[in-house]
Amino acid sequence: MLETRGLDGSIDEDMISALIDGEQGTIDRRIYSDPEIYKLELQRIFARAWNFMCHESQIPNPGDYFINYIGEDQVIVVRDENGTVQVLLNTCRHRGNALCRAEQGNAKSFVCSYHGWNYGLDGTLLNVPGETHFYRDRIDKAAWSLVKAAQVDHYKGFYFATLDPSAPSLHDYLGEVGRIGMETMTAQGEVVAVDGVQKNVIDCNWKIAVDNLFDWYHVRISHGSAAKAGFVNLRMMMPMEQMVMLGEYGHAIGGPMLSEAHQAEIDKLSDGERAEINALSDEERAKWSPRIGERRPLRPKAAAEAMGPVGVRATGHPNIFPNSWISTRAMQISLRLPKGPFETEVWWFTFMPKKYSEAERRAAMKFIRLSFGPAGLLEQDDGENWSQSTHASQGVVGQTYPHNLQMGLGQDEVLEDPSGQKRIETHVNEHAQRWTYKCWAEWLRAKDWDELKKTRSPSPTGRI
Amino acid sequence: MPAVTTESSPAPSTMGIAEKAGLQYEVEQFLYGEAALLDDRKFREWLALVADDMHYWMPIRRTVDRDNLDLEFTKLGGAAYFDDDKSDLSMRIAKLEAGSAWSENPPSRTRHFVSNVRIVDMEGDEIAVELAFHLYRSRLNGKVDNWIGKRQDRLRRVGDGFQLCRRHIFLDHTIIRSTNLSNLF
Ligand code: FES
Ligand SMILES: [Fe+2]
Repeated sequence: MLETRGLDGSIDEDMISALIDGEQGTIDRRIYSDPEIYKLELQRIFARAWNFMCHESQIPNPGDYFINYIGEDQVIVVRDENGTVQVLLNTCRHRGNALCRAEQGNAKSFVCSYHGWNYGLDGTLLNVPGETHFYRDRIDKAAWSLVKAAQVDHYKGFYFATLDPSAPSLHDYLGEVGRIGMETMTAQGEVVAVDGVQKNVIDCNWKIAVDNLFDWYHVRISHGSAAKAGFVNLRMMMPMEQMVMLGEYGHAIGGPMLSEAHQAEIDKLSDGERAEINALSDEERAKWSPRIGERRPLRPKAAAEAMGPVGVRATGHPNIFPNSWISTRAMQISLRLPKGPFETEVWWFTFMPKKYSEAERRAAMKFIRLSFGPAGLLEQDDGENWSQSTHASQGVVGQTYPHNLQMGLGQDEVLEDPSGQKRIETHVNEHAQRWTYKCWAEWLRAKDWDELKKTRSPSPTGRI
Repeated sequence: MPAVTTESSPAPSTMGIAEKAGLQYEVEQFLYGEAALLDDRKFREWLALVADDMHYWMPIRRTVDRDNLDLEFTKLGGAAYFDDDKSDLSMRIAKLEAGSAWSENPPSRTRHFVSNVRIVDMEGDEIAVELAFHLYRSRLNGKVDNWIGKRQDRLRRVGDGFQLCRRHIFLDHTIIRSTNLSNLF
């Protein structure tokens, strides 16, 4: 617990600022275990942010629904009769019972199992049992519809929702870096969701799981056994050339990159030639570019237009702030859903380009399955690290010693492309983690969206 | 999932009760033996019992309403926790043997319980078996996981023993309440 609190136990702006020391590159470990900080995160980050809900192909027909969360508020993401996607709080307005208990399905309307209030697919309260006899026709049904997300929008079929009416549009929220992140998923054209979301619970704080998605330092150590077993190659696991893009509100992309020279080689190829290379196995594709052994499918020409000259070279991991990691060759989204300071649900959505041949799909599915999810040869070894790290933040002495996030601090330069796109080109580093925590503190300090818009850091320039 | 058969044994009617009991005994002893290999961490020896055409699959189970029961399990080709062939399983075992497989170093302590074993189909030299399992795992000093469910195994007679050519695992859980699935079922 933080010792310095307001009379009501609350924490003020100065306390939050003191938790993250950007100059020293340190963070206070109590951010992983303090219950007040956790509460504030739910209010000031999750309830305000645009949160990923699901892909349009998961709910193609009227009545199709999928359950997700905004912070700890459970929501029903449902396609209504008009085909509009609605995001409704999954709690009855009468006594709060959950309307949907299933994880997904198809419904004609939502009937509460407690007293039978019946809501339409758009959340409208349609029918109240005993309206005449018990309520004597004195209930204002229009005032008791399900609570709707303040804004719902999608980026090329990927639906997001925010509970805050004053949040900027999804487009502005994502900003350039968030949009490049989203574009990585549609670089090979339209996608369709694979049926099934993997879900498991890890006894860790959600932020340590987010921190890890940018962490190319741990790969060789934590996941060495996957290399020994022949699943991945160590050189590919810790690429020496890395790019970091830092976006407003905390979005970031960090990890491997294509050099300008390499991209220039790709630019010479027609889309047809790229498609031929993409149809090869990973090993064969790596031979095509022996210098860096690039195994990832090449992005087509249209991707360069959508992502920009720098964005198209970023092949690392985007995080849509706060907790949506676009992973595994941009075919998966992994959510780190907070369930209290000491518990996180990790969800894995999988998407496949529509144009993929059966062979390409099979190869991609195999790579995905063997990499991530609780049984993934890589991910298996992550959870305990996060859990031990989270629990150590409760040690009364241990928690007084901060975490070290100093790698590369003050030693890199933000480069600006003539197009205006900014990035850092460097080695393995901790820029994206430092940026994430810096923005995290800005979100917590700001009392509302107006203040956040005014006080949030712009995408950094110069020495970093 | 195929319909559950309540037939105690579909063995050919020409089989007498003694013969059926003998077969049941053989099948059970094989299943207990391979479970013991896993619990004793003799993964290579376990792998030797796996046929080259093995399919080891654990679909995702979901909480769904009665009207949507067709959605309860993901189908073949959909997302799954395991969808392995023999080479994938041997990679998992090579990983378990590496000292740096941190999810299993220190190693977990597991116990595979197998019960309600029913022979549900026989075809040529293959026997389809359905059973209930309980996999208990204790990790570090305080972490306990329990996975319970149904398994559909297929055994193939090879010489005077069996090989395992299919293991389909249907958990009685939806969201996996454990840090990982680093063990074999
Ligand atoms: S709680 Fe839903 S009808 Fe009473
Ligand atoms: Fe990892």
